[in-house]
Amino acid sequence: MLSIILLSVSGLANLFLGFNRSNRLILPFVLLVLAAVLGVTVSGIDTHGALAVWNQSPYFTGMLTFDRYAQVFTGVMVLTTLLLLPFSQKYVRDGNANLAEYYSILLFSLVGGIMMVSYNNLLIFFLGVETLSIAMYVLAGSDKSNLRSNEAALKYFLMGSFTTGILLFGIALLYGATGTFDLAQMGNAVRAIPAADAGLRPMMHIGLLLMLIGVGFKISAAPFHFWTPDVYEGTPTLFTGYMSTVVKTAGVAGFFKLLFVAFGGETIEFWLPTLTAMLVLTLFIGNVGAVAQTNAKRMLAYSSISHAGYLLLALVALQSGRLSVNAIFFYSLAYSVATVAAFAVLKLVHDQRERDDYDGLNGLARTNPLLAFVMTVAMLSLAGIPLTGGFFGKFYLFSAAAQEGHIGLVIFAVVMSAVGIFYYLRPIMAMYMKPAAEGSDAPVFVGGFQSAVLVLLVALTVLLGVWPGVVEGMF
Amino acid sequence: MLLATTATYQPADYLPILIQLGLALAFVAFSMVVSHLVGPKRHSKVKDSSFECGIESVGNARTPISVKYFLTAILFVLFDVEVIFMYPWAVNFRELGTTGFVEMLLFMGLLLAGFYYIIKKGILKWQN
Repeated sequence: MLSIILLSVSGLANLFLGFNRSNRLILPFVLLVLAAVLGVTVSGIDTHGALAVWNQSPYFTGMLTFDRYAQVFTGVMVLTTLLLLPFSQKYVRDGNANLAEYYSILLFSLVGGIMMVSYNNLLIFFLGVETLSIAMYVLAGSDKSNLRSNEAALKYFLMGSFTTGILLFGIALLYGATGTFDLAQMGNAVRAIPAADAGLRPMMHIGLLLMLIGVGFKISAAPFHFWTPDVYEGTPTLFTGYMSTVVKTAGVAGFFKLLFVAFGGETIEFWLPTLTAMLVLTLFIGNVGAVAQTNAKRMLAYSSISHAGYLLLALVALQSGRLSVNAIFFYSLAYSVATVAAFAVLKLVHDQRERDDYDGLNGLARTNPLLAFVMTVAMLSLAGIPLTGGFFGKFYLFSAAAQEGHIGLVIFAVVMSAVGIFYYLRPIMAMYMKPAAEGSDAPVFVGGFQSAVLVLLVALTVLLGVWPGVVEGMF
Repeated sequence: MLLATTATYQPADYLPILIQLGLALAFVAFSMVVSHLVGPKRHSKVKDSSFECGIESVGNARTPISVKYFLTAILFVLFDVEVIFMYPWAVNFRELGTTGFVEMLLFMGLLLAGFYYIIKKGILKWQN
C-alpha cells in the first residue's frame, strides 16, 4: 500500500516540479522515488510465510492485498522502471516542454500495474488495467510531431479501448454467474455452480473467455497481437521498453492470480484447451514473425509476443502452484532486465543515429564496445543461452509445464526458442561484422551514469544466469 | 428465476405490435397513392430544377481547429462531476465521522492541486 501512496503522491508532486525553471531536478527526483519504493517493497517481502496467503493485510474492505505475491511482482516492475529511466536523459537535455508530465504519467501507470498484481477484487483489477493502459496510450503518442508516434497512439487507443470493453463485459458476466467480484468468493461460487444451477455455467464460461480476450490483448498474445508491431515501432523507444516489460509482467501476473484463485480445480478443463491453443499460436507467430523483420524495434515487438507465449506456459501449468509462480517471477525478472538492456542500447543509438533498423547498429562494436557488449548479452538472454538469466527463466517455465505433463508443449516451445536464436543473432552480426555507414561512425554518446546502469544490467543478467538461487527465496 | 419470467411470454403476445405496424404502413401507402391520384400536376423549368439553399461554400472543411473549447469543456466535466461525491458524503456526514471528513479533505486537496496545476499550466488562458 505504501508503494501506491508513494508513487501517487510523488507523481503529483513531480507535476509541480515541472513548473521549475530548470528541469534538472525531475529525473533525479523520479529515480529517488522509485528507489525508495523499491526499498520499501523489497524490505516488506516476508519470505518465510506460506505462499498461499492471498488475503494477507487487506485494504479497502479486502479489495487490495499486499501479500508476498503482490510485493514480489511490484518489486519486479519498480526495478524495471528504475533501470529504464536513466536512459531518458536526452529528453532532459533537449528541454522537452512536457518532461514532468511524462514522468508523472509513468509513475501513475506504475500504480495501475501494482493494482493489477495486488487486486483481490475484479473491479480493482479493471481499475488497474485502465490506469496502466490509458497512461500507455498517452505515452505512445508522446512524440507529438512524429507521424509514426501518432499512428501508434491512435491504433493502441482504439483497439485497446475496444478490448477494455470486452474485458469489462467478461467481468460483468462473471459477476452475473457468481454474484461477487471478490476473488476468493468467486472461487467458492464457481465450485458450487454445478450443484446450484447448471444454467449459470455457460455464462461463467463466456465471461472467462471474454476476460481471456481482454488480457490476451494487453499482453499481446496471439490472436490478439496485431497491434503490437505497429505500436511498438511508433512509440518512443523508452516507452516501448516500458510497455514490453511492465505491462506484460502486470498482465500475466494479474491473470495468473485470477485463474489460480478462482478458476483452478475442475474449471481448468474448460479453459485449458483455449489457453493451450493461444499459447501455441503465440509462440509460432511471435518467433516466425520476428525472423522476417529488418527493424530492431519491430523484431523486439515480435519477440515480446513470443515471450508472452512462454509466460502462458506458466498459466497452463497452473496446477503446479509454487513452481509456476516462481517460473513467472523469475522469467519476468530475467526478461525485463534483458529487454530493458536491449531497449536502452536502441534508445541511445536512436538518439544519435536517428534510426532503429539493424543497419543502424552497424559497426557499433568498433565505436562503442560497451553498447555492443550489452546488446549481445541482452540478445543472448532473450534467446535463452546458458549463463544468462533467460536460460533459467525458460528452464523454470519448461520444468513447471513438464511437471504437469505438457511434454508436447515443452518440445514445441524448445523448437520455437531455437528459431529465436536465429533472429536474436542478427543485431549481434550487424554490430560486430558490418562496418558503420559513412558519416555515422562517430561513437554514440553515453553518459557516465548510463554506462554504470548498463554495466549493472549486464551484471544482473549474468548473475541470474550463474546463480539463480539469489532470488530463489521469494517463492 | 429470470428465465422463468421470460418464458411466460409467447410470440402471439406481440400480435398487437404487428397489427400496429401493418396499419402504419397501410396509412403511408394510402396517403401517397391518393395524393398522387387526386393532386394537380403542373410542371415548369424552374420547378423541376434541383435546388440548394444557403450560401456557396468556401475553402476546405479539413482545417485545424482550436482545441481550447474542448479542453475547457472537459475540465468543466471533471470539476463538475466531483460534486457527485459530495452529496452522499454530506448525507452520511455524521456516520462517517472524523475519518470521512479527513478523507474528503484529502480528496478536495488533490482536486485543488489539479486545479492549481491547470491554472499554472495556462490552460484557462483563452488568448494564447
